This record gives sequence, C-alpha cells and structure tokens, in this order.
Amino acid sequence: MTQADTTITTEPSTTSKSQPTWLIGIVVWQVILALGAIGLAIGMITGAVFDLRGVGLVLAVALALIVAFYALYSIPRLLAHRNAGRTMSTLLNYTLLVVFTVAALQVMEIFRGIDAVATNFRDQWQWSLIIIVGFLIYSQAYRFKKQEKTVQRVGRWVMIGGVAILAIALGLIPGTIEFLRRLIQPDALLLAGLAAASGVAFWLLRRHEATVLFETTVDQAEAVDGYLFVSPNVFGFLAFFAFPLIFSLFVSFTAWDGLTEITWLGPDNYIEIFSIQFATLGEGQAASDVLSTGYSQAFRFGDVIMGARDPNFWIGMRNIIFFALIAIPLATFPALFLAALLNSKIPGMKVFRAIYFIPYVAGLLGVLLIWKQLYNASIGFINYGILRLFDGINAVTGANITAPQPEWLSDPNFAMWSIIIFFAWFMTGYNAVLFVAGMQGIPESLYEAAEIDGASWWKKFRNITVPLLRPTTFFVVATTTILGLQIFTEPFVLMGPQLPPSGPNNSTLTPVVQLYQEGFQRFNQGYASALAWVLFIFIFGITLLYFWRQRRNEEAGL
Amino acid sequence: MTAEAPQRTSDEAVKEARRLSRKARRRKYLGWAGIYLILIVFAFAMVFPFVYMFFTSLKDSSDVFTYPPRVLPYEPRTIDVEGEQLPLFAIEDEGGETRSMVLVESGIKAGVFAREGDLENTIAVPLEFAVDTGRTITVEGEELGIYTVTFGGETEDLVLIRNTAVGLFVDPDDPEVVGYAVVRTAIPAEQITARWSNYDEVLGIRDFDKAITNTVLITVLVMGGSLFTSIMGGYAFARMRFPGRDQLFVTYLGSIMIPFVVLIIPLFQIVVALNWNNTLASLVWPFIYTAYGTFLMRQFFVSIPVDLEEAAFIDGASRWRILWTIFVPLSWPAIATLAVFMFLYAWNSFIWPLVVIDAGNTESFVLTLALSILGGQGADQPQLVFAGVAMAVIIPLVVFAMAQRYFVENVASSGIK
Repeated sequence: MTQADTTITTEPSTTSKSQPTWLIGIVVWQVILALGAIGLAIGMITGAVFDLRGVGLVLAVALALIVAFYALYSIPRLLAHRNAGRTMSTLLNYTLLVVFTVAALQVMEIFRGIDAVATNFRDQWQWSLIIIVGFLIYSQAYRFKKQEKTVQRVGRWVMIGGVAILAIALGLIPGTIEFLRRLIQPDALLLAGLAAASGVAFWLLRRHEATVLFETTVDQAEAVDGYLFVSPNVFGFLAFFAFPLIFSLFVSFTAWDGLTEITWLGPDNYIEIFSIQFATLGEGQAASDVLSTGYSQAFRFGDVIMGARDPNFWIGMRNIIFFALIAIPLATFPALFLAALLNSKIPGMKVFRAIYFIPYVAGLLGVLLIWKQLYNASIGFINYGILRLFDGINAVTGANITAPQPEWLSDPNFAMWSIIIFFAWFMTGYNAVLFVAGMQGIPESLYEAAEIDGASWWKKFRNITVPLLRPTTFFVVATTTILGLQIFTEPFVLMGPQLPPSGPNNSTLTPVVQLYQEGFQRFNQGYASALAWVLFIFIFGITLLYFWRQRRNEEAGL
Repeated sequence: MTAEAPQRTSDEAVKEARRLSRKARRRKYLGWAGIYLILIVFAFAMVFPFVYMFFTSLKDSSDVFTYPPRVLPYEPRTIDVEGEQLPLFAIEDEGGETRSMVLVESGIKAGVFAREGDLENTIAVPLEFAVDTGRTITVEGEELGIYTVTFGGETEDLVLIRNTAVGLFVDPDDPEVVGYAVVRTAIPAEQITARWSNYDEVLGIRDFDKAITNTVLITVLVMGGSLFTSIMGGYAFARMRFPGRDQLFVTYLGSIMIPFVVLIIPLFQIVVALNWNNTLASLVWPFIYTAYGTFLMRQFFVSIPVDLEEAAFIDGASRWRILWTIFVPLSWPAIATLAVFMFLYAWNSFIWPLVVIDAGNTESFVLTLALSILGGQGADQPQLVFAGVAMAVIIPLVVFAMAQRYFVENVASSGIK
C-alpha cells in the first residue's frame, strides 16, 4: 500500500479546499476508529479487555496499533484530496468491513450453521436433484438448434427454482429468524455496527464522485480493484496458511499439550530429535548397558548399536527412505512405458486412459479397504494368486516349490511391502496419464524422421521420448515423491484397527504416522510441530535436489 | 539397352514393394495386438479390485470366507417341495450318478463301511440296510464287525469301520431316486445371487447415511467456495496491475510446496479457538482458499486474448462483469478441471477429519471416517464394508465420467506447464 504514495508532500493539508460532508464523515469515523483501536490496545496491555498473554497479546496489540496508524495516517491525505489517501482509506475500511463482519458472524456462531444445514440435508437432499436436472437441461441446450436460447432459459429457471426449494427445505426461513434473534445481542450488534460503519465509508469512497474528487487515474483505480479481487484469496491465505505456518514454527520451539499453558523451550525439541549415539556391545551386554540414560536403541548393526533419544524418528526415517527408494521407481517407470503404449495412434486409447484413472478417482480410503481384503493371508486373492502361479510353475517345470503365503499385513517383513505394492498400483495409472499429456507435446515430425532412418520402437522411445519428456518426468517424480514421503492413510487403514498405524514391530512407522501419534494421541503438540518442520525441510531438500538436477540437465542442452 | 530391362525391374520392384507392405502391415497388426495385450493386462489389474469389491458387496455373509476365494456371489439353491423350501445338494445317487437332490431327512444312523481287503475306500450306508453277520476281524489291534450290506441293488459283506450319521436326499423331480450322504461334507448346489439388502443394512448402521449427505454438502461447499476465490484471484493475477502483485504470486507458488502436515497442528488449534472443533464447519471454511486453484485459473486466464475484453471495456463494462460474462464462459475446461480436483480433494480428505472430528460424533462424520470405522468394525463382514465402499466410490466415478473429457487432458497439461 505504501508504494502508492512515493511523493509525500510536507505541506500542511490545504484548508482552502471545500470539503464535502461525506468526506468529513469518513474522517470523523477514522478518528473514532483510531481512538478505539488505541484504547483497545491499552485495555489489552493492562488486562482490562480480553485475557491475552505472551505472543497472542503482542500480536493483537500490534494489529490494533496498525489499524490506528493507518486510520490517522490517511486523514491528512484524504483532506488534501490526494489519491493515496483514498486508496489507503478504501483498503482499510474494506479490511475492517470483512474483519468485523466475520467477527460478528463468529460471535453469532453462524459459521457453525453448516452443521444445522447438514442435519436438514440428510432428509431433504432429494430436492437437490432438481438443480441437477436443471443443469442437465442447460448443458444439453446446444443440441436444440433453434430453441437453444429457450431451452437454456428453461434450464436456468429450473436450477433457480431448485436452489430456492432446497434453500427453504434446508431451513432458510427459521434460519433467517434465528439469525436475527442472534443479532440482537450486545456483542453481535456492536460488531455489526462497526462493520456497517466501515462498509458505508468503503462505499462512499468507491463512488464515482470520489473518483472525480481525488482525480484518480485509471491505473490507480485498477490497483484498488486488483486488491479487492485478490482479497478473498489473501484473507484465506493469511488466516489458513501464513498465520498457521508461523504459528507452527513458534510451537515447534515449545512444549505444549494443546490445552494448558505453552512453555518456551528453545531448540530442545530439535535437539531431542537429532540426538544420537553409537556404542559397541560387549559380551553379554544389553543395549541399555552401553547407551547413556535417555537414549534407547534405534538400530543395531552387528555389535554396534545406534541409540537415539527418539528412536521412533530414526525408524520412521529409515522406513520412509526404504519405501521411497522402491515405491517411487515402481510408481513411475511402469507408468512411463504404459504411457508410451497409450500414446500410440491406434483406436481405443481413450478408453484405456479413463480406466487407468479409476483408482485415483475412486478415492484412497475405499480402495485401501478393498486391498486390505485382497491382502488377507488366508482367503485373500493375492496369496491365492501366488499359490496358483506356483502350481502352474511346478506343473510346467516339474519342480516342487512351496508357494510363499506371507501374512502381508501382520508380518514385519512384509507390512511395508504391502504398502509399497499398493502405492505403485494406486499411482501408476495417474502417472501414466500425466506422461501421455507430456508426450503429446513432442513434435510428430521427430518420430517421422526417425522412422525414415528405420529406427525401432525402442530406439525411438529411448532417444526421442525419454529425453524430450524430461520436464514431465521431473514433475511426475517430484509430485510422487512429495506424496510418497507423507504417506499416512495407507498404514492407518491397512494396519488398523487391529494394529496401530505403526504396524507390526514399527515396520510401517512413517514420519507422518509418528507426527499423528505424537500430536494427536499423546498431545505433544510442540514436539509434533518440530517433527513436521523436520519432515518439511527433508521434503523440501529432496525437491530442491530434483530441481537442481533438472536445471543442470537443461543447461547441458537436454 | 533394350526397353524390356527397366520394365522388368519395375515389375519386380512393385512385387517387392507389395510383399514388403504386406509384411509391414502384418507387423503393424502384430504390434497392435502386443500393445492391446499389455494394456489389457494392466487394465485388468486396475479394475479387478473394483469388480471384486462390487460382487462381494452382494454376497451373503455365509459366502464371504470361502476358500478358494471367488469373485461372484453365490447362495445355496433351495427348491419348493410341498410348500417347504428345501436346500439342494449335488449328491451321488444309488446308481453312482451325480444329481441335484434335496435334503429331506438328516441324522439317520449310518455306518462307514469298506471291503475287507481295501479299508481306504469307504462308503456311508444307513444301518437299516446292514445286517450283522456276527463275524469280526482285527485291524491294527481293533476289532471290527462284518455286516451284510444291501445297497444300490448289490449285496456284499463289508467291514464297519465306525458309526456316523447321514442325510436322506431325494431327487425333487423323481422321488423314487434317493441318495445318502454325510450332510456336513455334501456339496451344496449354488446359484448366483445378489443381496442388495446389504446396502440397506449399511445405510442403517448408525449415521452412515448422514455421512454420505454430510460429505456431499461439504464437497459442494468446498468446491463452490474455492472456485469463487480461485476465479477472482486468478483473474486479478492474470489481468490487473497492482503493487506487490508479482511478489504475492511467487509467495503463492511457494506455498504449494508446503506439505499439509506442517499446518495440521496450528489449524487444529485455530479450529479449537474458534469453537469449530467437532463440527462440519471445520471441514469447510479452512479449505475454500486454494493456492493451487488460483495458480491454475491464472494460467488459463493469461492465455485468453486481450482484445476480447477491450471491446467490453470501451462499452463501459465493469471488471466484475467482464470476469463473469467473458472470462468464465471461455474457461469451462479449466473450471471443470479445478472443480473435479477440489471435488476429489474434499471427498477423499481423511487425516484432517480424523483429527478434528471425535470418533464418537457419528453425526458429524464424513464418508472417509465412516468407512474407516466400518472397515474396522466389519472386518468379519466384508460384504457390508464393501457395500459402503461401493456407495462411496460410485459418486466420484460418475462425476469423473461426466468431466473426464476436460479433466484427463487438462489436469495433466496444467500441472506440467
């Protein structure tokens, strides 16, 4: 906002200009606003209003003071009829309009109204079919040449009617009465009043009259419009991304159970995570004999023991790296070959593409429940398939090999493998479709030239498709990796509820599983936040590595 | 040089070319067959779990733990005999022929008999057809009686190995034909069935229907909300100039990289502070803003030619009108793509509902939660679990089928750009 007024004149605001009444009104409102904000800040510091402490208090006071500052800072510019004042005041009043409205709705508990609507929706959902019918009429209107407009109109009115009926069925009328009833309480009324005052100021400043008075240029108007257009996004970004992100970083330096007081720890959580120790076992010694107190065994390599303050973190890291090294190639390379086949110019490829997309669309949870049954050791199709396969091999070769019938989900040696196989199955189709899209960007002429030279399918794949597909491959491998390093639902559903998501003998303990257990089962939310940040930096580092390799490939002219 | 020589070579050349083209064509079709074969094998792997799930959801509870496992749902065949439903079995009759017979009487006292020289091959015959001869033989220290058995038109002296009970089976078409067999090991005759009542049963499980309607409602709200914010933001980033725009856009791009798990604890705390925990509100409001969607819409809007809106500008249309009457109708492919993306995201989100909704609060469950609970409770009733899964899967599949024209092509390319 400050970029807009780079030339601040030090002259006192010209009193000779006649001020319209509405502008005086805005100035008065902003003076009241500034005084109110300062009063609120003082109240908060002395503890008279709200019960805030620590970081929350600092934040709230800072916000109040920023509001007061902008309210006062824009006044001389408004009175001097300078556009900078208009811009600033518009944005300030708009922000306050949104903030006060949201606050009023929150006080009235309107946001939780979704739950009341959902209760009615359970019995009244069939009315929404009217909207769907209307949409179908509307979308099929192009089939009627002459009456297209009429059919469209019919479709539109059916949709509007459906929305109206659904709204009434979901309790629009009692809801409105309830809304008004809740509005008549002091807190809500005060906030609604403040919102209305900001709204009026905002509206006054948006009028054409204001454009003339402040001699606003087209570019300046466009800038304000731009802010207003991104505002729904920016408010969402601040409330549900930027603030939580910073908050999470702060929490990671504290001990907090999420309910009682936060205790500042400094870097202790991170020290806890990374504290490791190596020791050699002597004759007849147990791990606890050679490790310092607070350490327990994470891994054992022969006689050497790796101890850690938090062995689960290291086990989770080992598990996820093992998973990634096998599952990510399995989820991408077959997909690349499939895509090369899907990209051939023969009929029916669209059908196959749609089929390969089904697992991804059907949703992780349902698909996992199906696989849990397929993995069943005694009656599952996977073990039965293995059995039949070995029967076939034995019949053909005359050998007598016993088919392995692993307990997929309860044997520590197989639990992670069952997740790997599932993950590869789940991602292959999706990745294949991504690859096909990338391949369609490769010029046909290259293949034609290669065909004239008599290149085989493999040669073309190896020397044209693979190198030209690098950007797509990068994208696919990077997204699969980012997704794969965060697996949680897979172990949770496949292992549960008989086993915790960490699986038999911690064999499917992944970083996110550990985070869930620490943060939401043991309620060590400070420590869990630190784990989240370590995981984030780990993922970020790997992504950067990919980026760096991709960049190097590009520079090498590939 | 004669005139014939080139003539002949060209003839040969034509023949040679024909032969080659035949060969090429044969090779081409062989190649096609190979491609189809591989694609079909993979398609089978992709589809089989769903086929299995669907048919299992129609099974009877007695049919789900069979070994070897089978896909199609079966039920025991019954037949109406004199107003009574009797189960059918595949039984060897007295003549040694296998027939479908009904079980008329069970618990008939019988003996397991065998020939003196061959005690391995046994036959179960009711004791009423056997007459004790009084003789005995001793086998492995055990004294066994010898009986004269009349069965199937033959009479023979057989050794009674042990006592058992058999059932009397009758051919429903020809009551003269009877057979005896041990009921426990008799093979029941089966027919393919479809127990749609499994679906009713699942819907009747506490609040499963509410979970479906909740999920529909939440998905529609998240879709609508995020489409609105993304279209507005995407347009501003694509077409309007304001200080700080590019920095803000880069920040947005960077934010796509941050995994959700980093935000989950602070978001949980925000939701608790706002008193939204354990409500559906917590599943909607934090998700109506999406950096990825904004990015997607911005990329599409940038590609729309500028002259289209300039004419409207000269006519004095506002930006709001230009966005909704010119840009949005032109952007259906991108909007459909984003809509399907948000649909899948909202429909399938699991870890967040798991964290904010209490396990006991089934009123506020979404499908993923309900399924995960059902999967745990119904481990011994997979037919019910799969009926639930089928209902959860069918709606996204229909949505996908409607939008796949846009989706498959667009998601893919927009992600890569």
